[in-house]
Amino acid sequence: MTLVHASAISHAPGYIAWVDAAPPAQKDALYAGAETLRRDLAAAQVDELILFTSEHWTNFFYDHVSPFCVGRAESYQGPVEPWLKIGKKTVPGAPDLAEEILAAAYAQDLTPGFAQELAFDHGTMIPLSFLTPEMDVPVVPIIINTLVAPQPSATSCYALGKVVGEVARRRGKRVAIVATGGMSHDPGERNHGFIDEAFDRRFLDLMATGDADALQALTVEQLGAAGAGAIELLGWIALAGALGRFTGEVVAYEAVVPWATGMGLMRFNYTDGSDTV
Amino acid sequence: MSLYVLQKLIRDINRNPAIRERFTAEPDALLADYDLTPQESAALAARDYRGLYALGVHGLLLRPFSIIHQVSEPDYLFAIRGDPE
Repeated sequence: MTLVHASAISHAPGYIAWVDAAPPAQKDALYAGAETLRRDLAAAQVDELILFTSEHWTNFFYDHVSPFCVGRAESYQGPVEPWLKIGKKTVPGAPDLAEEILAAAYAQDLTPGFAQELAFDHGTMIPLSFLTPEMDVPVVPIIINTLVAPQPSATSCYALGKVVGEVARRRGKRVAIVATGGMSHDPGERNHGFIDEAFDRRFLDLMATGDADALQALTVEQLGAAGAGAIELLGWIALAGALGRFTGEVVAYEAVVPWATGMGLMRFNYTDGSDTV
Repeated sequence: MSLYVLQKLIRDINRNPAIRERFTAEPDALLADYDLTPQESAALAARDYRGLYALGVHGLLLRPFSIIHQVSEPDYLFAIRGDPE
């Protein structure tokens, strides 16, 4: 009855929508990696899933942007993109878990936004379609503003993640926490197509060694230098906060040029939290 | 300073089939409903991707807008990159 699974996975649309554009060896490695994560999650008999995710002007616009948005809906619909090659699905929510996260955060003077209704775009539907393809695990999405400045700092993402990890560990359910987004990519921007593999490898190393200090020291500008989409890695840093002391294993990494994205998949080992401050 | 309004209209065109239809059928009337500068209106009416990007339109609004208008990825990137470095 605790945190039973933690992983991270990139969500480039090409992963599903134009999968065969990728070199077969890269596609195979990434699909095998996703299957590894799915099996891990299934073996952990997960009751609920918390997803640190990002979005692409689906729910939010310049009229209202909050740094974090905790979904407290009974269910969600997605994907919004008709071209994604994922049929419209209904994803169950976990509103009482969302309430618990919000209460714990506000009790610690962290004040994420919340929403009773959210539509899921590829950023959320791609990880779910790989990890919980039956859409039978209730989800709490936590959407981080990775789209428009000012984005939340790595330290604030880590701090919110820490609260989420505390809630997951004391929850009387088997909880998974997954981060999605990144790695280097610059969608719609001038460097679209450029993949900063050296940056991606450095970031994977930080997540593999559980280097909380170095992860929190990353600035949004440093992430954004690897492309606007690399700012989505704030979700991975939130996951690091949830895990506390941890190590990670790179399940797959491929710089997929036809998808214009450095694709990373990791799974994590962590303590029960009793030795974290 | 109506970059906000410009982006709002682009998002509406991207997401709302009725507004998308109006943008095709009667663009001048549609644009008149939004408080845009002449420069913004002209760039949008001409689907001047380079101009719209230079005005500050977010890539994840502008690229979907270009896809709706059948602009290939290389053409889009050529447009927004401007003069080669």
